[in-house]
Amino acid sequence: MKRILALILVLAMTLASASAFAETLKLGSMSPLTGPYAADGNDIANGVRTAIEVVKAEGGIPGFDDITLSAQDTACDPRQAVAAANKLINEEVAAVIGAYCSSATLPASETLDEEDIIMLTPGSTNEKVTERGLKNIFRTCGRDDDQSKAALRFMKEYLKAKTIYLVDDKTAYSQGLADNVEKGCPAAGIKVLGHEHVNQGDKDFSAVLTKVKAAKPDVFYVSLQNSATGALLIIQAKRMGIDAVYLAQDAVYHPQLIKIAKKDANGMFLTFGYVDPNTPSYKQFIKFYEPKYGKPGAYSTYAYDSAMAYMAAVKKAGSTDLDKVRAALLSMEFKGASKSFKYKENGDSGSNYIIRKIENGKYVDFWNAQTGKKY
Amino acid sequence: MIHEFKKRWVSFGIGLIWLFVILWPLLGIKPEGLEFGTTFALWGKLAVAALCIMIVYELNVRGVFDGAKKAGSAITGSTRKAYAAIPQWLLLLILLALALVFPSMTGRYGHDVACNVLIYVCLGLGLNIVVGLAGLLDLGYIAFYGVGAYTYALLSIHYQLSFWMSLPIAGCLAAIAGCIIGYPTLRMRGDYLAIVTLGFGEIVRLILNNWMELTNGPNGLSGIKRPGVYWLDMTNGWTLEHFWVKKVWMYYYVILFIAICTIIAVYRLNYSRIGRAWEAIREDETAAELMGVNTFLLKLLAYASGAVFAGFAGAFFASRMRFVSPESFTFLESAMVLAMVVLGGMGSIPGVILGALALIALPEVFREFDLYRMLVFGGVMTVMMLVRPKGLWPAKRVGRRSEEMD
Amino acid sequence: MDYFLQQLVNGITLGGVYALIALGYTMVYGIIQLINFAHGEFFAAGGYMGVIIISYLSAQGMSPVLCIALGLGLTMGYCALLAMAVEKVAYKPLRSSSRLSVLLSALGMSIFLQNGLMLTQGVYDKAYPTEMTAGGFHFGNVVVSYMQIYIVLITAALLICLNLLVFKTRIGKAMRATAQDKVMSALVGINSNKIISLTFAIGAGLAAAAGIMVGFYYGSVNYSMGFVPGIKAFAAAVLGGIGNITGAMVGGLIIGMVEIFAAGYLSSEYKDVFAFIILIAVLYFRPTGIMGENVDDTRV
Repeated sequence: MKRILALILVLAMTLASASAFAETLKLGSMSPLTGPYAADGNDIANGVRTAIEVVKAEGGIPGFDDITLSAQDTACDPRQAVAAANKLINEEVAAVIGAYCSSATLPASETLDEEDIIMLTPGSTNEKVTERGLKNIFRTCGRDDDQSKAALRFMKEYLKAKTIYLVDDKTAYSQGLADNVEKGCPAAGIKVLGHEHVNQGDKDFSAVLTKVKAAKPDVFYVSLQNSATGALLIIQAKRMGIDAVYLAQDAVYHPQLIKIAKKDANGMFLTFGYVDPNTPSYKQFIKFYEPKYGKPGAYSTYAYDSAMAYMAAVKKAGSTDLDKVRAALLSMEFKGASKSFKYKENGDSGSNYIIRKIENGKYVDFWNAQTGKKY
Repeated sequence: MIHEFKKRWVSFGIGLIWLFVILWPLLGIKPEGLEFGTTFALWGKLAVAALCIMIVYELNVRGVFDGAKKAGSAITGSTRKAYAAIPQWLLLLILLALALVFPSMTGRYGHDVACNVLIYVCLGLGLNIVVGLAGLLDLGYIAFYGVGAYTYALLSIHYQLSFWMSLPIAGCLAAIAGCIIGYPTLRMRGDYLAIVTLGFGEIVRLILNNWMELTNGPNGLSGIKRPGVYWLDMTNGWTLEHFWVKKVWMYYYVILFIAICTIIAVYRLNYSRIGRAWEAIREDETAAELMGVNTFLLKLLAYASGAVFAGFAGAFFASRMRFVSPESFTFLESAMVLAMVVLGGMGSIPGVILGALALIALPEVFREFDLYRMLVFGGVMTVMMLVRPKGLWPAKRVGRRSEEMD
Repeated sequence: MDYFLQQLVNGITLGGVYALIALGYTMVYGIIQLINFAHGEFFAAGGYMGVIIISYLSAQGMSPVLCIALGLGLTMGYCALLAMAVEKVAYKPLRSSSRLSVLLSALGMSIFLQNGLMLTQGVYDKAYPTEMTAGGFHFGNVVVSYMQIYIVLITAALLICLNLLVFKTRIGKAMRATAQDKVMSALVGINSNKIISLTFAIGAGLAAAAGIMVGFYYGSVNYSMGFVPGIKAFAAAVLGGIGNITGAMVGGLIIGMVEIFAAGYLSSEYKDVFAFIILIAVLYFRPTGIMGENVDDTRV
């Protein structure tokens, strides 16, 4: 009896919410707005805000008067992420862009799935995110295993490295990536001299760096969750006099890396999702983003693209119903600011990792991991 | 009177100047040059707000509100009388009824916040035994919560053990962890105890984060089963039907059940021989020992029984999130639980419940403040402590204390 | 051998940083028996104020040495003002309440200040002008940067100054008297409120100096940077015997060394575990810390 009652209630609620959506399209975003990852988290919220501004400037979506955003803080904590997801469900959002940390995305996506709300993650690269058979999850960024392949190919073909030393800071993301690289090394003919873990919140890496220095590797692979931590590590490594090739990943990528590490950052390589600054979508993105929020971080474009893709799909489907929007998302090709992509059945969008280098205080495209050629 | 008045306003003025001196360097010094506009704008707003509060205070002192106050006190007096007239069991019954019908009054988000509050009620009551009753400052309490959560997660994933079977195991393991932590700390007192328990809490978190084979490290454990419940199904006769707890409101009833059990258990402990012995240790350990209280055993027991409730709460947390990772068991969480106990009133059961409500519900209420959320939360925490240093609902104590007689 | 020497240098530097923060902790604790959770935030505020003032001064064309000296002085003064305000607002009204209430008030203040810093300074790290202090000595394979030498020298100098202040001056005498018995010291004419205020100011000034040192050493500051070193410094202060100034120095050095050598020779992810195990082991055999006197039975 009670279950039937609940069923009727839920039905009534969805009906009510469906009619409510006819006026405003409510989007939600989830990212760490406070705490150590606040920098990336704010980039994500700002990316979604920019997307909404762009769509509004282009005349909005037919059937909706207005588009709003409710940006929630997850603090990278599973409990707060689920609370934020429930809050967004209560606010009757149509879709959620987020979260950033894989450990927040995993439980939050299950909560959203119960209410058939689409979640597009711009930053969670853990493989598990799209491998649970959930219908509602899409991923605009790449996956850990793709990124490690690009890094390995670069080391083998371009650097011709013989030895490697890895350091990660033990988050689901950074360690997962470093482990993938380590696993692929023997096949690429690279000897792993060591793999060290540091803890989050550490500022002093001198002990680990002394170890790296004594090992004298060809490549020093840095997989950290946070660009500021990355900058600290690079400064200390250079001061210590480690003269290996520095290779990092996309969470280390951020304008503030160069701002803090200054000339110490020069000559460093990073695996990064290819962004072509000459495409019309990127130009449009930067036109709206930069005056308001400054230089974009690594995840700004992914968040922007996720929101743009979702709104395009809603436009095409003419509704916010999960199945219809999902069908639309799967059928469309997107020319986004970060990349051109098409969502696959499991929600992944493929990746196009390239190698970027820091030269004279600027990021430049250096090597194409697909073709194996220098730019 | 005039002197008092002058003193108040002079210190108010000094405070405002001080505020400006602290604010301006943060906002106004830029490499391009010095700037005053933004600071003045912000400072002005704060000053006006403070002025309003001061004026209200001043009027209050001068007796402008006396009439209103009299009426107010008459109302509170009559309500207090009415309250006293109602028997306690009726009040409790009303509270219980309110708790039972709560899910039908709110939405999903409300249920979620309520679940969190109840989890922290369990945690707060458990810590209350250690801090409030036995007087041992514990800054690493969240470790037991973590032990409980990981116990259920591992049992569920590797042995498919059901939630209700795992619950006592989680409690036992947490109690064992409590004894392990309790043993070396028994010789220490006060702040030395605080740092050692903090250290233990950090050690447990680091082990959870680094023991890859067992805990899967920072990736956390997922795929934890939901609790199952037998439900009386009356549609086709009287049959028991087994189903999985899926909706948030169902979780709410599970944790409500656990919380009520915890409240009853802690209440019984509080007023038992053991509870009185704990209070004796808190008041004066040497005297208690002389009176024949086995302080060694009872302190260990305090740690262990406090840990049991954290273990229960942890197992529930794992089953609700269906995902555990070490990020949920940081020092800040320990500090939060401690804050609940102290804010609510040490040693007082209704106080701890109020404290949990305040500290979990407030940040959610403050979500509207967006980025100012935690700023406001920190400020409110300090102000609450200033206004009610003994807690929101202090425990009634028997007899007079030496420090009160000073 | 080079490896060992380099790790030794690393350990001494890290220990110096912890000791510098722990000095402030221990001073405040010594006088009012309060674990000042907000101390880590004074450290962070000092780091920010330092970079703000130094980059302003150097933009005005001042020489680096003058910039740093003036920046250090102004920042210490600023943090002293901040700490006195915090003490007046959040701790003084609670002086007669239970110690846990003050502890919580301190925790609230810590959250408040940390988020205040975030709101005024933004979530991104602020870079320090590290080029001002770049460079170092090379002894074979062992690198010792100038900043490492400065940290050790300044910590030692501050330690000596503090010891002189506490044991050789009238103010120090008043501080010790207030720490022992507030009522009695008030009876002999010491204004204990002023002395407590002053202690907070000195403690925060030390934290500010530590903030600037850390900023220059590591290259950037962040609004949440006060928390982890705050806990470590607290552990260091307790290890050395809380309330004892030389003890804080010793404790800081031990914690720093243990951390570096554990990371260098055993396992870098468990380095904090080793640090805490050493702490617990020392306290198990010496429940009042290495240099601590017997404190009397203090209730929570």
